[in-house]
Amino acid sequence: MFERLANDVREILGFAMEEARYRGDNRLGTDHLLLGALREPGPAGTMGVTVEVARAAARKLDRAALASVGIDAEGVKPDTMPRPGKHLPFSSGARSVLERMHRYATAEKARKITTAHLLLSLLDREEHDPAAALLNELAVDRTEVRRRILAG
Amino acid sequence: METGDLSSQIRSADPAVGLRAVGALHRLAEQVEAAQVKAARQQGWTWEQIGDALGVSRQSVHAKHRE
Repeated sequence: MFERLANDVREILGFAMEEARYRGDNRLGTDHLLLGALREPGPAGTMGVTVEVARAAARKLDRAALASVGIDAEGVKPDTMPRPGKHLPFSSGARSVLERMHRYATAEKARKITTAHLLLSLLDREEHDPAAALLNELAVDRTEVRRRILAG
Repeated sequence: METGDLSSQIRSADPAVGLRAVGALHRLAEQVEAAQVKAARQQGWTWEQIGDALGVSRQSVHAKHRE
């Protein structure tokens, strides 16, 4: 699959790894794939969301979750995470996103796997998924975004 | 806060929120660790002293946080 990835998709996978490291996560998850994609102007425009807004929404979800167990993390400033170059394993959800992205490309008989295939796959994430939670928090209209992608 | 409050809040939480809280706690710990290790290094702590404070080996704290 990897030799078929378009250059910007490869770049997004690298960005996603950085996002996972910045946040101090142990695995590259679907939410990091979404954040990585939003670092590219194309997907950010299609989704109507900047990566800064999406990162802030992820932090807000974390703060709300921490508040539910009685922890106030308001005063903690996010710091740059260490572990430069450390390669984190993909979560099973992230692996599913990549498989589905691959299937989208194959169904179209596309020669290259593009950001459109990645975004369509991310938009399909359902309940109990970190990317889906982030899309909900950002109030992304999935039907509309899917329509925009398919309209090319 | 009383511990009773905390446990009742954990019990009443939706697992989606509760599980996210566990992930968020981990991220918070990593972020606090990164900031505090950096501050300790700037104030002249050795890797060994920092490792002892964190309950990990000098090697692992150095491998994780070296500049």
